[in-house]
Amino acid sequence: MPATDIAITGLGAISAAGNNTQETLANFSSGRRNGGPVTLFKTELNYPAFQVQNFSPLKPEAMRSLNLAFYAAEQAISDAGLENGFGSLRIGICLGTTVASQLNDTDFYRQYRQNQTAPMDSVERYLKSNLAYELAKFFKIRAQLCTTIVNACSSGTDAIGVGLSWLRNDYCDLVIAGGADELNRVPLDGFGCLSVVSKSLCAPFDRNRSGLNLGEGAGIVILEKTNLACKRGKTPALFLNGYGQAADAYHLTAPRPDGSGLKQALEQALKQAEIQPEDITFINAHGTATKDNDLVEGKTLAKVFGPQIKFLSTKGFTGHTLGAAGGLEAVFTCLGLRENWIPANAGFQELDPEIGIAPVNQITQIKGNYAVSTSLAFGGNNSALIFAKN
Amino acid sequence: MYIAGMGIVFNRGRGLTNLEKALTQGWVKPNPVYRVPAEALADKQVLKEARRADNLSKMATLSAFDALADSGLPEKSKSNLGIILATAFGPHVTTFGFLDDILTYGDAQVSPTLFSHSVHNAAASYIALNLQTRGPTLTMTQFADSFQQAIILAESWLEEKRCEYILVGSVDQTGKVMEYICSQKLKLAQDGRIKPFSFSPNPAAVPGEGSAFFLVTNNAQYNKYCSISGLPAEDQEKDDLYILDSDGMCGDETLYKKLGQTNIPLVSYAPIFGSMLTLSSFSCMAAALMLKNQKTYASPIQDNPHNFNILTRHQTLAVHKIKCLRYNCYQEELAIRLKTE
Repeated sequence: MPATDIAITGLGAISAAGNNTQETLANFSSGRRNGGPVTLFKTELNYPAFQVQNFSPLKPEAMRSLNLAFYAAEQAISDAGLENGFGSLRIGICLGTTVASQLNDTDFYRQYRQNQTAPMDSVERYLKSNLAYELAKFFKIRAQLCTTIVNACSSGTDAIGVGLSWLRNDYCDLVIAGGADELNRVPLDGFGCLSVVSKSLCAPFDRNRSGLNLGEGAGIVILEKTNLACKRGKTPALFLNGYGQAADAYHLTAPRPDGSGLKQALEQALKQAEIQPEDITFINAHGTATKDNDLVEGKTLAKVFGPQIKFLSTKGFTGHTLGAAGGLEAVFTCLGLRENWIPANAGFQELDPEIGIAPVNQITQIKGNYAVSTSLAFGGNNSALIFAKN
Repeated sequence: MYIAGMGIVFNRGRGLTNLEKALTQGWVKPNPVYRVPAEALADKQVLKEARRADNLSKMATLSAFDALADSGLPEKSKSNLGIILATAFGPHVTTFGFLDDILTYGDAQVSPTLFSHSVHNAAASYIALNLQTRGPTLTMTQFADSFQQAIILAESWLEEKRCEYILVGSVDQTGKVMEYICSQKLKLAQDGRIKPFSFSPNPAAVPGEGSAFFLVTNNAQYNKYCSISGLPAEDQEKDDLYILDSDGMCGDETLYKKLGQTNIPLVSYAPIFGSMLTLSSFSCMAAALMLKNQKTYASPIQDNPHNFNILTRHQTLAVHKIKCLRYNCYQEELAIRLKTE
């Protein structure tokens, strides 16, 4: 039986795969991929991306990343039955991002560069875009702990891991955790110049994969002490059991080729969850579709879990959403456990013999209590979360 | 948790000797901000793995390296070492450099090196790379709360035994664009003097930069300085001294007046380090030194219009509990306590 002390009582997600969990499941089921040309900003680059469709910001004057976070948080709070307030619960908010933490407004900087002066509007917007602070303000939450994690592409996963630490140490009773990031010109140019962006829709773990697509979105979970959730009438079915994180100490952008950082993170998460690799029923892998990431990650998953392990990357549906990825993929992992199926790894066609194992290439029924979500990031961060169901 | 080692890079140089010297020497006029001198970042040996790093990463790498060295932890302890880095604004100088590339050369001709260094966690990654530590490595940003949140997370990781030792610290830098933004958003001190006891609704700031790192552990055997802990706002324990981060960065500072009314001695070293949202880490380092040496350092600027009890001279003094206090931009109290054990 899984440890049941920390429950997941609410899920919220918005991405190109769908503006809520129902839409996401429908697209996962149909295999529909909403990647296409970038329309959110002007760019000389001709890469497809995964933009959120039909999205009305709740606070139009705020940064898009923040609005995506509000949107997903509202869903998660409602799913948890907390739309009327949190009562006397001690609340923590821990969110991951990359774009919202950076003052990277090109219009502001262009004007400053030309005139040594520039209007402060975009600076004001940036100063009002700290995800954790602003989420607390928007939902009128007096948070005991409020933190924004900026660990590049593992930010969302790490934010959920921090939430688990806070709860297990009794620093709070409930944590709103996850990640959010908007599609933005700066990372598009940055990943483009690293030659890791694909000109076609991405194909994670495929032999002929040619790079990632960027995406955007937000994924939020409500983590709650199970006894307190039960007290307010909830019957939790999903739980967060373990978190592991380890550094590669190898390179700023490339993963350590032997995968030992990821292996260490997985082992730490398994240890905290008090389970064995064979207890894992599926893995929602980071799977960006870059040559290096998928090779190292795939080989490591095979090494730790064995060649029979069911795994997939959902980035074929969402693109790489950077700081949001860990939050979104945590939600998708929970959905897989709850619904007892996982979608096909979109874009996959041919086994890469170097990796040696293939992701699921069709909708796959799931039997089991535990699933893993992994994130690998710039700087050599490796993070893993273990989710469980009763 | 205990402080086993400390490292610092700031406008008067690198290392604890320079810190003690600065605390003894007191205020010096900024030029026109408190910038880290280039020679403080010129250690080719320590920065061997960080040759291409920007100044932000170099500051963090050096102060983290020094904190670990100061602790005297055996090499094998590194297998159980985590890193938590707090930064208010991250590598904005590099980010603006990257924007320069975009504006000058277009979307397709930008520098991959600038891009990879423009992410907030580049500095923490350099620390891990430089020290060859493989434990959990996290970067967090929460403007004025960043360092306080990092301390709380370090306590949490140690309690749950995620690691046995943690390098927890801060880094922030200044730069031309940020100085322009400060000039628009803040009142800059025309005479270069931060006046921490003015408790003004419109206080003056002088931007600063630097990095301060602590090696912390729950293992009392390695307690070299004192204990350190993040505090809830309602904390009522009585302290021997308050160190105030009233540096002009968070707007209205009138709330600090209530601390003066307690008659607990007040001091602020903001005029030494400069105004930074992560100033608390530097204040905590001054506190740790004072607790270790049982010696207090005078306020570097002593304008005291409200006639509160401020430290006006260096003295040998029995001091056991120091609270470092900051009110953030939402007027919430952020506190860290350091205690002799």
